Amino acid sequence: MNSLKNILQNLFIPHEGNNYRAKSLQLDFLTYYLIFALFLTFGFKIVGNKSGEVLGYATDITIDKLYQLTNGVRQQNQLPTLTFNGQLATAAQKKASDMFAKNYWSHYGPDGTTPWDFILSSGYQYEFAGENLAKNFLFSQGVIDAWMASSSHKENILRKDYTEVGFAIVNGVLNGEETTLVVEMFGRPLLASEPEIRPIAVKAESPSETKPAISEKSVIIAQNSTPQYNKIRQFSFNSSFVFLTFLLLAFVMDLYFANRLHVVRINGKNLAHLIFIGFIFVGIFLLTKGAIL
Amino acid sequence: MKHLMIYIKKEFGKSIFDYLLLITAGVLFLISLNIFKGERLLEFVILFIFISFYILWGIYHHIIDDSLHLKVVVEYMLIAFTVMFLLKIIILP
Repeated sequence: MNSLKNILQNLFIPHEGNNYRAKSLQLDFLTYYLIFALFLTFGFKIVGNKSGEVLGYATDITIDKLYQLTNGVRQQNQLPTLTFNGQLATAAQKKASDMFAKNYWSHYGPDGTTPWDFILSSGYQYEFAGENLAKNFLFSQGVIDAWMASSSHKENILRKDYTEVGFAIVNGVLNGEETTLVVEMFGRPLLASEPEIRPIAVKAESPSETKPAISEKSVIIAQNSTPQYNKIRQFSFNSSFVFLTFLLLAFVMDLYFANRLHVVRINGKNLAHLIFIGFIFVGIFLLTKGAIL
Repeated sequence: MKHLMIYIKKEFGKSIFDYLLLITAGVLFLISLNIFKGERLLEFVILFIFISFYILWGIYHHIIDDSLHLKVVVEYMLIAFTVMFLLKIIILP
């Protein structure tokens, strides 16, 4: 117990034994942290590449979770839950693949393709239909939160006319960047007695400029990732988070005790480090968010 | 806690411009990240600019403070690059 106390004291509290600077903040330890960060950054990439995994994409978004969250917000708003529809999922899949193939980020393709074309081509005859798009989010919850924060997307999620939903999460290269696209297609099947087709269009965007199409081979379906791969991604993210919390705590402790002991020493300003890490912390939360359309 | 508050007040009072500069850069960093969210390459460029600024800020601040030492520069660099590589995992895995 005493040895643990000594270790913690040496790590976090400046005293004569550690030259009045918390050991965890001394240059040798800071070098170890950098090596640890380099190991996380490149080590997993090398290991992943050797095991045949594609580590260019790091999201923890799953169709199950998106489906569950979408129905969750509908239930909270006293709306009936949506049934998962395979044809809408196929349409969403086709739409995402088309965005990668034609290199655009819009509801409408550069050649005028509409979301409804993908729905109809997947064999789904609709009375009402809608589409929500998202890219580069890290978590399923972030995607739903961002959609719910936007009036037009929220309207789609909470529209009582929809009875079915389909999702696709697809990884690929968009505008030269590794991107994770999430496509959510809503629909209500057309009954045989109702001939009218009324698409509920999402906010129209002008098609982006046509750029050279990229190979279909760069498109990878995200849900094909193995659980082991997901664990590695989760571990990397959590490690970064835990490490920054540890560093923040070490700086606060060192600053507090150094001031209590009136220590004069040559080193960086802990207050500046704390401000810097504070901004980085907020930045991490912003980085988990992507763009919606 | 009292000692800490006195130190913070003293430190801010002594180098108010420096800290305002750092906080302004931090706020700009967050605003830029928010504007370009979802654009991974731009996010990394923004992070790299903020990291570089932080190292330069450290050097500048310690020159003004008359406490510049190689050890101090290395400390800023180690912290900044560790943070950069950790965030790179999130931005450009």
